[in-house]
Amino acid sequence: MIGGSSPVLQLGVRTATPLAILVGVYLFFAGHNAPGGGFAAGLVFGAVVTLRAIAGIQRPTHAMTLLSGGTLMVIVVAAIPLFFGEPLLDQAVGSIEVPLLGKVKSGSALPFDLGVSAIVVGLIIALLDGLGVGDITAKRPQSPDSSEVAS
Amino acid sequence: MTVDSFAEPWILWTLLVLHVVAIPLSALGARRDHRLGLGIAAIPPLLTTIWTVILLAGSAEPFTTELLWVEGLDVGFSFRTDSIALLMTLLVSGIGTLVLTYATGYFSSSSAQMPRMTASLLAFSTSMLGLVLADSIWTVFIFWEFTSITSFVLVGHKDVDASVRDAARRALMITGAGGLSLLGGLVILGSEAGTTSLSELEPITGGRGWIAALLILGGVATKSAQVPFHVWLPGAMKAPTPVSAYLHSATMVKAGVLLLAITGPAFVDVATWKWVGLALGITSMLWGGITSLRHRDAKLILAWGTISQLGLLVTLLSVGTAKATFAAISILFAHAIFKAALFAVVGEIDIRTGTRDIRELGGLHRTMPIATAVAVVSGLSMAGVPPLLGFAAKEAAVEAALKLSGIDALIVSTSIIGGSVITVAYTTRFLLGTFGAGPDTSVAPRRPGMTIATTILGLGSIVGYIAMGAVNNIVRPAAIEIDKKAEVYLLYRWPGLTTGFMVSLGIVAAGVVVGAFILNRVDQPAPEARGADMVDSGLDRFLAWAPQPIAAIQHGSLPVYLATMVLVALTATIPFASDIDVDTLVLWDSPFQGALALAIVVAALAGAFVSSRLGAALTLGAVGLGVSGIFVVHGAPDLALTQLVVETVIVVGFVLGLGHLARSFPAAHATWKSVRMAVSTILGVGVALALAASGSNPSGTPPIEELAEAAVDEGGGANIVNVILTDLRALDTLGEVVVLAVVAIGILALANTRETEANA
Repeated sequence: MIGGSSPVLQLGVRTATPLAILVGVYLFFAGHNAPGGGFAAGLVFGAVVTLRAIAGIQRPTHAMTLLSGGTLMVIVVAAIPLFFGEPLLDQAVGSIEVPLLGKVKSGSALPFDLGVSAIVVGLIIALLDGLGVGDITAKRPQSPDSSEVAS
Repeated sequence: MTVDSFAEPWILWTLLVLHVVAIPLSALGARRDHRLGLGIAAIPPLLTTIWTVILLAGSAEPFTTELLWVEGLDVGFSFRTDSIALLMTLLVSGIGTLVLTYATGYFSSSSAQMPRMTASLLAFSTSMLGLVLADSIWTVFIFWEFTSITSFVLVGHKDVDASVRDAARRALMITGAGGLSLLGGLVILGSEAGTTSLSELEPITGGRGWIAALLILGGVATKSAQVPFHVWLPGAMKAPTPVSAYLHSATMVKAGVLLLAITGPAFVDVATWKWVGLALGITSMLWGGITSLRHRDAKLILAWGTISQLGLLVTLLSVGTAKATFAAISILFAHAIFKAALFAVVGEIDIRTGTRDIRELGGLHRTMPIATAVAVVSGLSMAGVPPLLGFAAKEAAVEAALKLSGIDALIVSTSIIGGSVITVAYTTRFLLGTFGAGPDTSVAPRRPGMTIATTILGLGSIVGYIAMGAVNNIVRPAAIEIDKKAEVYLLYRWPGLTTGFMVSLGIVAAGVVVGAFILNRVDQPAPEARGADMVDSGLDRFLAWAPQPIAAIQHGSLPVYLATMVLVALTATIPFASDIDVDTLVLWDSPFQGALALAIVVAALAGAFVSSRLGAALTLGAVGLGVSGIFVVHGAPDLALTQLVVETVIVVGFVLGLGHLARSFPAAHATWKSVRMAVSTILGVGVALALAASGSNPSGTPPIEELAEAAVDEGGGANIVNVILTDLRALDTLGEVVVLAVVAIGILALANTRETEANA
């Protein structure tokens, strides 16, 4: 029983979810000047999703939306500079004054990284779906699996 | 406006883009009404024809233009508008426009296949246009393959019929194989000649010239249906007649001849080129003509006649004299016009009478006068009778043959004269059989689209004769493009009572006698397509055999795949083992590394021996954590972070996946255990060797300084690693995430298959 019946695990994962998401968001934005970035952030979000799957609580299932949205995002960001006579994937950097936060600097790498994150999360959800998670918490093979290849 | 204001690259690009844009539009139009779709499809070729006529009429200055993709390799689209390209464009787009007009009449009902037919016809026209205008060998190859593929779709129009599918497959396999051969030839030609541009080709002298010659001739012979690669062409007659008229007489089968012409100058010093070309050409000329005399299906008579005519063209171009080249270009031009007209007439007969069998046809000169007139004019032009365009062209060929000396003279002139007699014979038999006496065939009403197109094509042979000056202005520069010495030659309306003319008269007289009286029998059975059957059964046998080796290689045993990969990887590292510099190998940079490495080794060994699956997954996680610890010690926090998160997700994923399996590993046989250990040890040794070798061979200093500067200046970020990922080398990231997305979609697709199977 991987956890479908453990209230401790469920409560633990539920409580950890917002914190882990916060860590992911931090990593996402920190990536510009410190360790982190879209890939790591996506993995953290993916870990949250996987933990929820283990605990048998609701988790995102829109793998296709995330994958297609993320791919579209990175391709659009990559292609936009072409229309301004710049090379593919050329980065635009700008900064704006935001109340409370002060000067915030950002660039087109931000949406690019967002796309990367979305793809990573989408991949993990797809893996979960591929592993047939969902029915896993419900049933478990009764007899020992004897079909291991070439053993 | 001067002519040169039309000789602009942007017009050419616009026309090409227009072709491409019109392809889906024509399919959409054809869904509503097939005439609308064909009308849309005819617009780009029509505009291209007008543009070409303007350029030809004004003798515009040729230009080249290119859209480069990979610099240095010259890979890209590159086009030229020299005389031979314009001549071919005129044929491709001009006859294309007429064929599309003709098709409005040929296809009566708006069947479900019409959108595909319309779009494929235009797609073929586009590919052919690209091919004849292509300047670089890569562009030639790309469009060459496009014509093979679109031809496959067009031949397979009636895809419910198994014999049609076989014919389409045969055509694709033969021309596709020829395409590969051509690619090989072009690559060698390009490297020997030092240029990929066809307009800059110089004679090659290198020792590999004969290989290039053979490979390119392979492409030429398959595309231009030269014996013994011709077997796909008669089968392709199962295509609707507009397709046969366009692809299999006027344009696509000329692609090989065109290639022979434009690459010929590079091979003047290569004997293989000439002799293999002559062998192919002469065999095809004679065999095609003889077989044509034995068929009773009017369309097949013409198809075998095309093989014969293509053989004549290949023969003339292989001879290599300026006069023969000039004659070849003239016949190429004349043939496109009269053969397209003849096919169009046969298609009209087929549609209006329901048969193409010359035994069943009769009295058509009364019931189908216009079609008869077109066929007679075009047939006589094919036979080389004045006052028609084909006469002047054939005359040039006879003259060229008579001018030869030495061994060429004997072989080539005999063959050309013999081939011409056969041509006259099968033309006579075709005309008499189809339009002459016989049981009156009932005839359906005329359809305007077909009549307009056939009439224009039929008039082409007459107008070409009358306006011989204009034809000379098109044909002569094209011949000069290939061979400078061709500038002294002209086509004549009336050559005078030369030897050549006397020979021509003799050819016509002999041919008429043979065709009308000796070999006019129609009751003998038509020849069987033995060659085609051999190709088909060969393909079938191959397909029946192929699963065995595939099953042997793709056996599905994961451990064997893994062992194979490990062995290959190790073999690949062995050559580098000697590069290892022992002095660069140190025990550790800091004792932390030693401690972590020890932990990793212990965890890995535990993973190998533990019997619980969950335990094994956790030890793998421990290994990963240790590795990320090493990254931290080494000063790579980004890598460590990513490794850490990846390991976390993997361990959690493992735990999920383990739910499907038993808790413990099944007991393994001792032999199998030792094999696994051996493979693991080999992998470990291989990786260690590779790392030590690459560490001993640093290539230059790492560009840390520049990267750090570029990260802040260009990327605007202080974290070099991430700026590299998202900006400096973002193209790599783009590629990687797209791969990730594709993998994920594949997993989803597999998961869905399983669900579907489970539900079934």
